Amino acid sequence: MSTGVSLMLTLAFLTLIKSVPIVYAALGGVISERAGVVNIGLEGMMTAGAFSAVVFTNLTGSPIVGLIAGIFFGAFLGFILGFAATFFKVDQIVAGVGINLVALGGAAYGLVLIFNQPGASPQVNQLAPEQLLPQITVGETALIVLGLLCAFGLNWFIYRTPWGLRVQACGENPRAVTDAGLDPLRLRLYSVIASGALAGLGGAFLSICEVNLYSDGMTAGRGFIALAAVIFGRWTPWGATGAAVFFGFFEALQYVLQGRISWLPSDAMQALPYLAALFAIAGLVGRVRAPAADGVPY
Amino acid sequence: MKVVLRLLAGPAGALLLAFVLAAVAMLIAGVNPVDGFSALIRGSLGGRRPIAETLVQTTALLFPALGISLAFRAGLFNIGAEGQLLMGGLFAGAVGAHLAGPSWLTVAALLLLGMLGGGIWGGIAGWLRARFNASEIISTLMLNFIALSLAGYLVAGPLKSPLASGAETAPLLPNNWLPAFPTIGSLSFGDTRLTISILIAIATAIVLRFVFTRTVFGYELRAAGEAPEAARRSGINMPRMTLIALSLSGAVAGLGGAAIVTGVLHRFNTSLSPGYGYTAIAVALVGDLNPLWVCVAALGFGILEAGGLMMQADAGVPKDAIRVIEGLIILVLAARRYFATRASSAPI
Repeated sequence: MSTGVSLMLTLAFLTLIKSVPIVYAALGGVISERAGVVNIGLEGMMTAGAFSAVVFTNLTGSPIVGLIAGIFFGAFLGFILGFAATFFKVDQIVAGVGINLVALGGAAYGLVLIFNQPGASPQVNQLAPEQLLPQITVGETALIVLGLLCAFGLNWFIYRTPWGLRVQACGENPRAVTDAGLDPLRLRLYSVIASGALAGLGGAFLSICEVNLYSDGMTAGRGFIALAAVIFGRWTPWGATGAAVFFGFFEALQYVLQGRISWLPSDAMQALPYLAALFAIAGLVGRVRAPAADGVPY
Repeated sequence: MKVVLRLLAGPAGALLLAFVLAAVAMLIAGVNPVDGFSALIRGSLGGRRPIAETLVQTTALLFPALGISLAFRAGLFNIGAEGQLLMGGLFAGAVGAHLAGPSWLTVAALLLLGMLGGGIWGGIAGWLRARFNASEIISTLMLNFIALSLAGYLVAGPLKSPLASGAETAPLLPNNWLPAFPTIGSLSFGDTRLTISILIAIATAIVLRFVFTRTVFGYELRAAGEAPEAARRSGINMPRMTLIALSLSGAVAGLGGAAIVTGVLHRFNTSLSPGYGYTAIAVALVGDLNPLWVCVAALGFGILEAGGLMMQADAGVPKDAIRVIEGLIILVLAARRYFATRASSAPI
């Protein structure tokens, strides 16, 4: 195989792998915002998922248990944000920033308390690390497929089921949901919990599937990039998934280009996915519309 | 009674909560809170050097917190103080390694350069919001990461000091160092890291307080945040206000970066800030976005930051517990409404 073709293949596989955590978090962003809660805490929920997955894998030796723990702890932070955003009517942005600090600090605190070493955890068992193809493991493939299923399922849920339409109504006009005899606050709470679970799963992918440990700051803003993907994807599951893959491509590109282009140093290339997200949200001038009651406490 | 309850629902309650949470964090780490707090207090207030270090941390938090207060008052979520701080430090460090001249002039020039660096960084987010209605929340966050990789690239490449082993700029020429804090009676701070930057920070707070309460611009800025629709209808140019508010907010944070470079590090590297820009959000909220109270809040968090090291070394409580406490304080204070949601707010 010529180097050009193999390079393209590497880029394609790497794009898939780098997209996965952003896809999960972006789907979480979609469900939360469709219900009317802006989830700035996605980053923190990913962190919680990544860290708890490692802790529980270390504890039990089973990455599957770790994965479930990651989902659970992401959902738990989702519960906190959701509860605050609904029943306490807090400012969702401010609360989300708080969630992020709690999760990042909590993980760093936990590293010292549990593993007695700051910075990074020891290595744990990786989720199905057998190579399926040269660039991709069985575990990664499984979570890529699951991610696509999640996108498919969320799309079906939001547009094809009565509960999905009710969730949409919570984000557009929560008053109407009340008038229909349902509790929009409760629906919002459930949506944010689901959002946290998805973000937690994305975080767990980072720590126990792509690699086999947790290190401080390993989510590296992917939760925020996911927020940009939600906007870029116009609050639709498939749109957000596509946008997440788009940003994942730039992250993969950065790895592929590293060391291959001498005049473009790696530090500068690390900015690629963030620049892409910045341009993406700036390029959508006046052409997108958020759910009408998105971010507005009810 | 009512007054007490109202105080508890606000910043006072948050500080009380911080106290309780800190105790819990110590208990989880298996440390007697009495030992933990005594280490915290010794490390922050127990003598001349600890106090100086507390004030150094206070200053580092105060600048970005004031910048954040300004933006929040205008109804804009500037979460990018971290990047603005870094850019301010980068501008000051890059030029300060070479700028010769009378000390008072060059130091002032470097501080202004810091404001310029932070102002540009905040201004980009302001322009994107004003021109394209791009959410400043996402843009300021993205700009934090972009600032870090830009600065990382510059100090590892074009600006790298040939003498340094790590990635950092050449040391500042001594004429570019901020003067040490003046001696009070027999109390001298010459051997500590405390400089007059704390006085500059407090002066900035007083100026901001004056701008908010006594000037037409401050009135318009607050109107834009508290009643955006009314502000727009009364003829305030909202895009322009957005651009100015985020630029100024970034400039104040950038001034803080320059103050750290000229006062503490005497060079620039990317470990300039251990997250001051994020902690400063808590500081601004605890200070109720009021510049003078923000000073008090910064002192409180400065005590935590400075004492945290001693708490970790002596009592064995991980310093990161403080981040958790800060986050929970922000969560609690989020229940207060700070400004109206803009009718035509940017999609997020």
